[in-house]
Amino acid sequence: MTLLEVDGVSHWYDTTDGDRPVLDGVSIEVDTGGILAIVGESGCGKTTLGSLVIRENRPSEGEVRFDGRDIWSLRGNDFKSYRRAVQVVHQDPYASLNPGLTIEDTLGPAILYHGLARRRDLQTELIRLLQSVGLDATHRFLRRYPHQLSGGQRQRVAIARAMSLRPRLVVADEPTSMLDVSMRLAILDLLLSFQREHELAFLFISHDFGVVRYFTQGGRIAVMFYGVIVEEGPTEEVIHHPRHPYTYLLLQAIPIPDPPLARRRRRGAVAEAVDGQPAATGCIFANRCPFVQPECRVARPPLVEAGRDHRTACLFPERVPDLTEILEGEAG
Amino acid sequence: MAPALVALKDLTVAFGDLHAVEGVSLEVGQGDIYAIVGESGCGKSTLAYSLLDLIPPPGRIIGGEVRVEGRSVVEMSRAELQRLRGPRVGMVFQAAMNSFNPVVTIGAQVGHMLEAHPEVFPGAGEGRAYFRQLLEMVRLPPDRVLRSFEHQLSGGMRQRVAIAFALLLRPSILVLDEPTTALDVLNQRLVLEALRELHATLGVTIIFVTHDLAVVAELAERVAVMYAGRLVESGTVDEIFARGRRHPYVAALISAIPSVLQPGLRVGPIAGQVPDLAELPPGCRFAPRCRLARAICREVEPPLIADGTGHSVACHVANEKAGLTPSGRAVR
Repeated sequence: MTLLEVDGVSHWYDTTDGDRPVLDGVSIEVDTGGILAIVGESGCGKTTLGSLVIRENRPSEGEVRFDGRDIWSLRGNDFKSYRRAVQVVHQDPYASLNPGLTIEDTLGPAILYHGLARRRDLQTELIRLLQSVGLDATHRFLRRYPHQLSGGQRQRVAIARAMSLRPRLVVADEPTSMLDVSMRLAILDLLLSFQREHELAFLFISHDFGVVRYFTQGGRIAVMFYGVIVEEGPTEEVIHHPRHPYTYLLLQAIPIPDPPLARRRRRGAVAEAVDGQPAATGCIFANRCPFVQPECRVARPPLVEAGRDHRTACLFPERVPDLTEILEGEAG
Repeated sequence: MAPALVALKDLTVAFGDLHAVEGVSLEVGQGDIYAIVGESGCGKSTLAYSLLDLIPPPGRIIGGEVRVEGRSVVEMSRAELQRLRGPRVGMVFQAAMNSFNPVVTIGAQVGHMLEAHPEVFPGAGEGRAYFRQLLEMVRLPPDRVLRSFEHQLSGGMRQRVAIAFALLLRPSILVLDEPTTALDVLNQRLVLEALRELHATLGVTIIFVTHDLAVVAELAERVAVMYAGRLVESGTVDEIFARGRRHPYVAALISAIPSVLQPGLRVGPIAGQVPDLAELPPGCRFAPRCRLARAICREVEPPLIADGTGHSVACHVANEKAGLTPSGRAVR
């Protein structure tokens, strides 16, 4: 069942330069208990998309629907239950926790406001909650401040805050990119355990295909370039058979933890393709595309089927190499 | 063998009672690309700062020595340190993209740097011309960069400007603290290619600190892995990633990388947490998290033992299996 629909959304900030919107005609859907990852480079609009879903910003055009209803039409108890059902985990656990609040004051008020615990049970509930995110919580821990915690512990507190209201959708915006590599998998596993146990849906925002692949097993990926979704499909399908050149370039850029393979791939000329600006007419990716044709400059290609349940906004998807060819092609 | 360009001998750096770096010895040769790897708090940044005598107070070197081009950094006078920092060792700090003066153009900041070190470029305009060459090597448009304020450049561009800036005074050594962290994969790839290009063209020796082993595999030739202030393994990049004798921590770090291109790779988080430096366990510091730990590991700190090629590992289990004793010879 569709839980979240972003329908034909475009967005301009008041300060946006020029005519190009931050988001340009974006449509996505997330099912109950489903996972959709938004992948793209810094500045592509993925965080803006998350901010529209959590109602931090109102889209300039189009509609965001939760449970079939426009989130900007909700009033009273409907609004309150939307607020409870949609939670967010931010990228930077050093910035997302109020430094002046103890852990108890960070987590407690929302739980009381939504009536999920009585005041006299609150501490017991908080300790149970913090244990559920892998923290060795005691009454003393509740009185700590964020600066007394490590980065990994802070991110677990931020996750506890998101999970404390038993949400149905969590927007996770680069939840592991500020953490040590050794900590990332543990945090992803933690989020996945909530997804499985509570039929929780995720809008997962990341630039890291490795993390996305690990997190979205069985889920879906949407690849975004300068505010436009250029490819969308099941995770394994998109990674193994990318059908948009931008996805191909992102995959090609990933550092590989294998020195001999990394040396063989060094001949790739990714750099030329990274700096180009989005094209004003035609395909937005044309200025950077290694396979660009004259037709690509004429009109913006629509997102069309390019395989089972797999869509691309490219006129020549058959030219995009598969993942195995990305590796072998350069090695040869 | 030529004397090492940088040599640390039994270096111990203390912050109060805590030893952020303890008994670390390593040598970096002319023209090496040397990676110092570890998680937050392992002492890797402290180690990098020690090369310039820039350890932030109250940290100080309480044992061992740091030699750059044969001279002890600790014994240098203020004037000598000024000639070291910049003209001989260039430094790119963590989050260097935010380290420019926001109210002065990049061009003006280049001017200030050249004024402070007039001995480097005797001719008028030589320094500025050299900076333009550096910008071209890191694939940035010189005219645009020189007249920009930092906020007018993207994060990835700023990181490459910071690298060019650190090379302005023609140092023979470039030290970078987390050069790719906080960048998306495309900008990471640009920084890696820029560094490799600068190394090939200028012959500069590169020492970089990172927590990301995939970046190490892509860039480094030699690697030192730190854990809780100790050096646990060092060798060539191939030795570090090979499945032969290696430290269990290094093996765990490698298998914690969610790799998108090698789906066969087994991925799993590292159990437990990095120990608090104030409450170090007896014996091997990794033993509480180590699946191979035996009784001796919890009692005796393992020595770092080198084999014939200089590949060093500080692990009782790995060294015993390889038949290596503390003298470095194989026993039969």
